[in-house]
Amino acid sequence: MKEAPTIAFPGTLPAAPPSGWIAKAGVIGLLAAVGLLVLPPLVHLTATAVRLETVGSVSGPSLALLAGKSLSLAGLSTLWAMALALPLAWLVVRTDLPFRNVGRWLAVIPLAIPSYIGALTYITLLGPVGVVNTWLGGWTGMPHQWVNIYGFWGGVFILGLFTYPYIFLLVCGALDTTNPAIEESARTLGENSLGVFRRVTLPMLRPSILAGGLLAFLYALSDFGSLSLLRVHVFTTEIYHQLNTRFDQSAAALLSFVLVLMTLGVLVGQRTLLGRRSYVTVTGTARVARPVSLGRWRWPASALAGGILGLSVFLPLGVLIAQAGSARQFAEVVRDQWGFFRNSLWTAGLAATLAMVLGLLIGYAALRARGRVGAGLSGTVQIGYAIPGTVLGLSLILLYNTYLPWLYGTVGVLVLAYLIRFLTQSVQGVEAALGGINPHLEEAARSLAASPGTVLRRILAPLLRPTLFAVWALVFISAMKELDATLLLRPAGFDTLPVRIYIHTVEAEYAKAAVLSLILITLTALPWLVMTRLREKKIL
Amino acid sequence: MFTRLLAMALLLAGAGSLAPPLTATASDRLVVYSGRKEKAIKPVVEAFTKQTGLPVDLKGGKTSGLANEIRMEKANPRGDLFISTEGGIMEILAGDGLLDPYRSPATNAVPDHFKSATGSWTGISGRARVILYNKNLVIEKEAPKSVFELTDPKWKGKLAIAGTRERTSLAWVSALVAVKGEAFTRDYIKALLANGLKILSDNTEVWQGVGRGEFAVGLTNSPNYYLAKKMGLPVGVVYPDQGPDGIGTPINANAVAVIKGAKNPQGARKFIDFILSPEGQRILVTADYEIPLLPDIDPGEVLPAKSIKQPPVTEQRLAALAEPTLKLLTALSPDW
Repeated sequence: MKEAPTIAFPGTLPAAPPSGWIAKAGVIGLLAAVGLLVLPPLVHLTATAVRLETVGSVSGPSLALLAGKSLSLAGLSTLWAMALALPLAWLVVRTDLPFRNVGRWLAVIPLAIPSYIGALTYITLLGPVGVVNTWLGGWTGMPHQWVNIYGFWGGVFILGLFTYPYIFLLVCGALDTTNPAIEESARTLGENSLGVFRRVTLPMLRPSILAGGLLAFLYALSDFGSLSLLRVHVFTTEIYHQLNTRFDQSAAALLSFVLVLMTLGVLVGQRTLLGRRSYVTVTGTARVARPVSLGRWRWPASALAGGILGLSVFLPLGVLIAQAGSARQFAEVVRDQWGFFRNSLWTAGLAATLAMVLGLLIGYAALRARGRVGAGLSGTVQIGYAIPGTVLGLSLILLYNTYLPWLYGTVGVLVLAYLIRFLTQSVQGVEAALGGINPHLEEAARSLAASPGTVLRRILAPLLRPTLFAVWALVFISAMKELDATLLLRPAGFDTLPVRIYIHTVEAEYAKAAVLSLILITLTALPWLVMTRLREKKIL
Repeated sequence: MFTRLLAMALLLAGAGSLAPPLTATASDRLVVYSGRKEKAIKPVVEAFTKQTGLPVDLKGGKTSGLANEIRMEKANPRGDLFISTEGGIMEILAGDGLLDPYRSPATNAVPDHFKSATGSWTGISGRARVILYNKNLVIEKEAPKSVFELTDPKWKGKLAIAGTRERTSLAWVSALVAVKGEAFTRDYIKALLANGLKILSDNTEVWQGVGRGEFAVGLTNSPNYYLAKKMGLPVGVVYPDQGPDGIGTPINANAVAVIKGAKNPQGARKFIDFILSPEGQRILVTADYEIPLLPDIDPGEVLPAKSIKQPPVTEQRLAALAEPTLKLLTALSPDW
């Protein structure tokens, strides 16, 4: 592999000036498109929320209590997710851990397990009358509730367990692309391994950790399914409850509005955190790091990695397989519901592809367009993620049925909803990765008369390739799992896999739900496996 | 490289769009919004399509959620037919002018309190409010015979009910308000909560929880007893308050109505005719252990409507009580 000279320097970046009116028009066009996509639901929500005469049904103290609970649950589950993701990412990317390539692939699977399915499997295991309690009761002869997954801490446990791959993925990507030479220099300059990690690796990973952490945090804040199953009362469950018990939606709108405000607060906070420092790798080629030899830590490290994967992958899958029943039943469900697989696959695939392309354009425009316009662009995209799925679904019904009736009632509106909800995952990923590419690289190309399009295509896209695959997979996975908005917006007769799983779960047909869950997990994880294999073989 | 990537992406997207695009439904299909379990309604839908050749697009969900959707879509209705789990909500929708009245010939035989006075909706089958108990935790002799016994300390921490997201829970409390008055009902619910009544998200959680022994006693709907029994769970059932002094237990009607502005009102009416026909009724009643409302339909193993003593409350009254009852309940516990 060719050695490229590398320099890393912390400090402020001179932003490359957008060249000419084409670039400016492009940025404005993007801003308009994103605004039209995201803002109408937000405006509608605000308008419903501020009709103050009905606010009486939601009191101030109960709102504050709910906010405190939602935020602490999301915060704690994000910390738990980081505690799972960081050691695992470092172990599979930078060390000689046994089976680390398999581990790297497996660690993404929890993302393919929708948190509501994860919660269901853990209720089977750790519920008041679950496997563990029954077994412990029989073993000790004392029928007693030893463990109980229901409640706040169960929610923290489950959400962290099934969102850590957001952080894991971005951190792995960052570990792949940060130049190991920097760490090696630090080592030659006398830092020990821990010092290198703390003073060199960790700061370089910070944007990825924060970006991934933000996704995990926002997921936890907007999650409804698993928390409802685990009987935790937070904003989303309360909103859903209001929407499904009463016709007057202003209370639900008010709750959603507060939730969106909280999310926006978090987003602003994250920008301040990220904005302070930046690290840039000048080189175009990231060299592969020499794996750290674990030595006598090999087995403890394997046990740790195995434990994380056991809790988040093997146990839930094991429960599902046990519930799915015989192979014949499995085949029957597959035969009967084949059409739904196709529905899920192509809507999620289309949404992911659009999100990837748009994410690249927006991420690029946001980072290179200076200051407020850029921040406004990616900030606008993030709003979409802040609107809970059920609320988004209801707003879109009203808005699109009134103003775009030809679009409403088609699958197009589903794809749009997925874009509104998940575009930010793609933009975030692209932005984080672009942050690590020095604008001088572009400036050099531009000075050689390359157009912005050529720069994007010839320089940035190849450098961003791993990231682009990661964001495609992220959005695909999210869209495949999406339930709340899909339930409302799907055209009659157009069910997706999560909708089917929901219906079978509600109707207590657990075997069917388990079969479909396994298929959903497989279909979601498969593109990831293919991409990882291709990347290992350097085909992509 | 980027070109290749883009080509691949477009290929994927293209392959996707080869799938049949589902455009807004025309009048050669029937769009049914159903708050009923799919398991209960799908066999009827399939038989209907087989008999009439009219394909049906089914959108399943929770009754209140779908009713909300019908309200949202008022300007440009997408559904043709609505099937709800309770009559009160139909009265509310009818009051807002969202339903298109239709009296099928068979409607005449449906008892008055299971249909709209103006023909806006018709009951198609019923479910009684019952006490479900776990036979390993409660011996049959000691099972509560009245809902009012559940405030007894011996049931402390052993009770479950679904919250008001289940329309049938709300209708049950509304019926209590109608018969016993608001003050009595408030005290009763307060006593139940003080006795550790657990409010769960839906009826499935209730009968599963009772069946698996998480709770000794649950308040739910009659078909769930048969479902739990069929799954081999150790459950028993009590139709409460049936004695001479008892107030009886309500039967909630599953109801059907044509949505106003439906693209295919003709098809919707045909569906109502079919679901009230002997064949439609037979499929509906056996699919999910529902109670027939029409006099000459065989109830099978299910306790028939005429052997169940019911409180004298009309659906119109339940509709009027829905909002005040909801206020009463949420003031006592946010879990409702």
